[in-house]
Amino acid sequence: MSYKEWNAGILLVASLLISAWVAYDATYGGTFVAPMSHLAQTLIYAILISIGFNIVAVIVVTIVVGIARREQFKDERADERDRAVAAKSMRNAYFALSIGGAATLAVLAWGPGGNLGVYALFAALMLANATDSASRLYYYRVG
Amino acid sequence: MGKGEPHIDNTIRLLRFGRDMTQAELAEMVGVTRQTIVAIEQNKYSPSLEVAFRIAAVFKLPLGEVFQYRPDEA
Repeated sequence: MSYKEWNAGILLVASLLISAWVAYDATYGGTFVAPMSHLAQTLIYAILISIGFNIVAVIVVTIVVGIARREQFKDERADERDRAVAAKSMRNAYFALSIGGAATLAVLAWGPGGNLGVYALFAALMLANATDSASRLYYYRVG
Repeated sequence: MGKGEPHIDNTIRLLRFGRDMTQAELAEMVGVTRQTIVAIEQNKYSPSLEVAFRIAAVFKLPLGEVFQYRPDEA
């Protein structure tokens, strides 16, 4: 796997882990019934933790894969294929985010609203991120 | 990376072997990554016209001898 494929895989894992943690916290941690501002802060922290996880994971993978391959494992300058993969993946992520955004509005308009709307927005963001990462892996591995 | 199976075949792998050239060397000469050369050889990616011409220029062959279009089977 290339550096970009590893990066996409790490981002996908991070999205899934953070989403699972937020779902667990909503179910058992009591944030579902907390004030909306407290919930929003919790979700912002979750996003920041995800960013931190990504940075640490990329560093660890770079070192480990470099040791395993006995050569420096680093990113290469993007070429036309990388740009094409990125463009298609971001397009897919845009579709996912659009659907998630519409679902959030629907929850706020006709659903219970409130905290569920905040969770729906967070889920839309995580879904878009996961869609982008999964798309990149698919286009790199399968074509 | 269009819809369905790619319709462009190539003989890059054979041409490389004939010239004792590695994928990395070809990638360096063409200006793409080694992974892109791998994807082209495996028919997972159809290069742009410019990259296709660059590859043909490396082997000093006409484009049609490096890449072949395979029409849909009607």
